[in-house]
Amino acid sequence: MVRIVVDGREIFVDEGKSLLQGCLDHGIFIPNLCYLEDMEDPPGSCRMCFVEIEGMNQPVVSCKVEPKPDMVVNTSSSELLRLQRTSLRLLLSNHEAKCKACPSNRRCILQELVKRFGVRIRPRRYDHIDREVAEDIEHPLLQIVHSRCILCGKCVHVCQRQYGSPILTYARRGIDTIITAFGDVEAMYALCETCLACVEVCPVSALLLREPSGAIEIPADGSPEATIPCGGATP
Amino acid sequence: MKLAGVDEAIVRHRQLVDRARRRRAEMEHRELPRIEIGMATCGLAAGAGATKEAFEEACAVNGLHFSINPVGCLGHCYAEPLVVIHNPGFPPICYHNVTPGKAKALVKAFLQEGDPLYEFVLGAMEENDLIPAVTDFPRFHLEKRVVMERCGVINPEAIDEYLAGGGYSGLLKAIQVSPDAVIEEIIQSGLRGRGGAGFPTGRKWRLARDAGGSHKFIICNADEGDPGAYMDRTLLESNPHQLLEGMVIAAYAIGADRGIVYVRAEYPLAVERMRTAIRQAVEYGLLGKGILGTDLDFECTLFEGSGAFVCGEETALIESLEGKRGMPRHRPPYPVQKGFRSLPTVINNVKTLSSIPHILKHGARWYSGIGSPASPGTAIFSVVGKVVHPGLVEIAMGTTLRTLIFDICGGVPNHRRFKAVQIGGPSGGCLPESFLDTPIDFDSLTKAGAMMGSGGIVVMDEDDCIVDVTRYFLDFTQKESCGKCTFCRIGTLHLLNGLHRMTRGEGRDTDMEMLRTLSEEIKEGSLCGLGKTAPNPVLTTLKYFPEEYEAHVAEKRCPSMRCRALTAFYIDLDLCARGCDACVGSCPVEAIFTTVSRKKAIDQAKCVKCGECVSACPPEYNAVLKVSPPQLAPVVERPKEE
Amino acid sequence: MSHPSIVSEEEESREEIIGLLQGFSKGRENLIPILQTIQKRHSYVSGLAMKLVAEHLEISSSEVYGVATFYNQFRFHPPGRHQIRICLGTACHVVGGDIILENFERKLGIREGQTTPDREFSIERVACVGCCALAPVAIVDEATHGHMAPSRVEGIILGFQIEKERLEREKQAENSEEKELGENL
Ligand SMILES: Cc1cc2nc3c(=O)[nH]c(=O)nc-3n(C[C@H](O)[C@H](O)[C@H](O)COP(=O)(O)O)c2cc1C
Ligand code: SF4
Ligand code: SF4
Ligand code: FES
Ligand code: FES
Repeated sequence: MVRIVVDGREIFVDEGKSLLQGCLDHGIFIPNLCYLEDMEDPPGSCRMCFVEIEGMNQPVVSCKVEPKPDMVVNTSSSELLRLQRTSLRLLLSNHEAKCKACPSNRRCILQELVKRFGVRIRPRRYDHIDREVAEDIEHPLLQIVHSRCILCGKCVHVCQRQYGSPILTYARRGIDTIITAFGDVEAMYALCETCLACVEVCPVSALLLREPSGAIEIPADGSPEATIPCGGATP
Repeated sequence: MKLAGVDEAIVRHRQLVDRARRRRAEMEHRELPRIEIGMATCGLAAGAGATKEAFEEACAVNGLHFSINPVGCLGHCYAEPLVVIHNPGFPPICYHNVTPGKAKALVKAFLQEGDPLYEFVLGAMEENDLIPAVTDFPRFHLEKRVVMERCGVINPEAIDEYLAGGGYSGLLKAIQVSPDAVIEEIIQSGLRGRGGAGFPTGRKWRLARDAGGSHKFIICNADEGDPGAYMDRTLLESNPHQLLEGMVIAAYAIGADRGIVYVRAEYPLAVERMRTAIRQAVEYGLLGKGILGTDLDFECTLFEGSGAFVCGEETALIESLEGKRGMPRHRPPYPVQKGFRSLPTVINNVKTLSSIPHILKHGARWYSGIGSPASPGTAIFSVVGKVVHPGLVEIAMGTTLRTLIFDICGGVPNHRRFKAVQIGGPSGGCLPESFLDTPIDFDSLTKAGAMMGSGGIVVMDEDDCIVDVTRYFLDFTQKESCGKCTFCRIGTLHLLNGLHRMTRGEGRDTDMEMLRTLSEEIKEGSLCGLGKTAPNPVLTTLKYFPEEYEAHVAEKRCPSMRCRALTAFYIDLDLCARGCDACVGSCPVEAIFTTVSRKKAIDQAKCVKCGECVSACPPEYNAVLKVSPPQLAPVVERPKEE
Repeated sequence: MSHPSIVSEEEESREEIIGLLQGFSKGRENLIPILQTIQKRHSYVSGLAMKLVAEHLEISSSEVYGVATFYNQFRFHPPGRHQIRICLGTACHVVGGDIILENFERKLGIREGQTTPDREFSIERVACVGCCALAPVAIVDEATHGHMAPSRVEGIILGFQIEKERLEREKQAENSEEKELGENL
């Protein structure tokens, strides 16, 4: 156990765990989107869990900090708030918020953060950026709504935990990054049918179970069309 | 502890050098003309291949005997293809822009008849009474060549040429002392990493040496991703053994047994030459098991980077080596603690490692005497844009921007006014005229808001639009963002969109403020160096050139008339010559028509603003004019078709 | 959806790719070198190729796909017979490289990154090719064209078209000669 001071409060946290987990364990909420408790090496990608630590000249993401004895941590300065708000607004500017039609409505982490930080679900500061992705995921059981996905990576993480080499993957790069799957449909069917942990873990209902009627038909030879990013006027 | 077999190594090295020198002496002794042609990528792109063939052909036709030595790049890209002719009885003479025609003329006049064709001469390579030496030119004598000293002088594919000049003697010095002493020497030299951030190299090595474990890696970062800089490529193409020697020394110092040169696949020639160099070094016993007969083992391989700017970032580089998507990781842990295959790994830039042999050879004190106290040594820049003599320049740190741009590179051509200089490529900043006396070193540049970065320098004159160039860099970083973290993935696109709007005349009143605050937040919030530095061009230009932004946003006007949506071309009917057709054919979209007065006019709806008609219009008329904002162009009706 | 001719091309390459894979051990670290080797040989990486690589390395096809689509280097469609690469490095940008690119795009009716429907031409943008002194620069197949001007675009493409027509005429002439020969026999 390590003694640390968070917002003036003294707590004792497990050594091996991250600062974020330590705080969460003690009921101190730090906003986070890309972190799961069992992660050995969290990606640190959503940039929400910023805290200030005495002796460091810049805010740091708490999911990547190991608690050190007598660390003094601040979770709510105006500086942090500003960063977290921007992070949230940026994410929202790239997220299609049609809440009424979304299965996550009312239990959505984004809605919760919006309330907490007092920003709009459709931020005025930034224009909306569409996620124009023509293709659906080539998966017999899963369906993905790219315009909802916030690229938290939780689905890829649980998939990797299950299979070592995951069936879900990030593809492409930068603003075009998507979550997808590629390969042999039959094999996916066999592996995923009993798992579907990714659907469970997705915080914004971007990954869904395919409606029975919407299932991709498996061609006789078991090889579906490849979902290859379109690079040319030739198909 | 001393390395076993050092005495043996001294003998072996001596033998290698002696043999190499004997071979060179034989070549020189034959009294035949020798032609050296710069055949690095820049030279080849400018046509060095055809020039070489022309020499060969002309000599064959005239029955002359001679030898051709393909060498690397001298850095004088404005003068490529560059040729040095060693004609017995003359000093070695350097010729610029040697086209195949010139090559043939040179063979006939110079090699056969002894007339050096003064009109083609750039200068002699050594002092003499006949021809002014190149060293009399500022482009040569204001430079301080250390790392580039042998570039363009030796054949990069011949290890003997490197050895003949004393190659691998830095390594020999290193292994005669303890690894700790080598590290101490590097610390004393004050060498700082040339990959951008300027981290002290000796300290990095110390950390890696102390990291324990029996396997360690040394990786050379040659992923040079700046879209306008190519000094690392030139070093690989022109003097690959210098880098290898640096790597072996590093391996000895930190205790690494494996090395990887990470070169981008877009540099096929550099990849090929590096592979050749590695093979030769293994053959000569300078690489591999038991180097020069000692106990030192160091294997070195080459990895081709697949074209992602972010893979220049060290953690992303490691991810890609491991066969993954090149997405950076949070640091700590740093690669020196946990790097490739989770082993301690030192990652150094090409220029950093290429400096090492010189430090060992001449001593830390010599090196720290070059440059400025906090940033010793030399820096290599690729200077492009609006300068008379673009190319690669190696200068002592602390040289001012003014000296670099105006004295060495000849200043801005065509009597245009200097406007700004962008330093450090897409992660650097843009500085105005008032900063020209800033000394070039890590700390001064950072203080000014720019950074050493990749070492790309772009000089801009009054015809270049600051907003447009900023948009160009943002366009690059936005496309190269790996997409992992929110600020960089989405934030840079908002920056880019804002800049796009401005260059199209759709800028909003709030855009400048949006750019400023979002830039600050992206810097603070991003995970890796790419996101943390991507807003630098925006921030510096907003700070130093606010009036350009204001003109774009408030007046929809581009002061330098670059942004095409904000400018228009028109033909001044008073200047246009009746009946002249010069511009009509030049227009790629047939936008130019004949008016009722048999003069020409431009159909604004069709014009793509390429400016071809401006160059086509004969200088005695100069009738095509450019205005901004575009509404200022007079409207001329197209006559009705009959 | 893939074009039938491309699908059959992919199938033809199967054996060859399996052969190529034998040269590599099964480590994940070989993934990128393998993809590079395949692209060097076949000028692009097909869906089938990615699946074969996944089998060889014993990782999921998704992972191969995720890695391949991350890097600029990899192409997923066969490129055109003639590759037009426009330098948009910094030096070329400041002297109007984008205008050159636009002219090629307009002339060929495709965008950067695309291939013409007849698979004759494809256009790519590249970063500094190392001859900034010649900016703006276009590289057409192996030839570097320095100091490019929009008006030279037409000529370059016309050159290829004339060459192609000449070849076709020759072929036709040969064919008809053969035919004549056949008829005469
Ligand atoms: C986006 C990004 C791109 C980089 N690109 C390069 C590069 O092309 N070459 C390089 O040597 N260092 C590059 N770096 C810096 C490396 O991460 C690393 O600091 C450097 O290779 C260390 O070498 P040095 O100590 O010799 O400077 C880059 C960093 C970032 C953040
Ligand atoms: S699909 Fe859901 S779980 Fe997966 S990255 Fe997107 S938002 Fe996260
Ligand atoms: S800052 Fe940009 S490049 Fe770096 S990890 Fe974040 S998204 Fe990737
Ligand atoms: S939870 Fe820490 S960065 Fe996402
Ligand atoms: S920028 Fe085009 S050749 Fe360098």
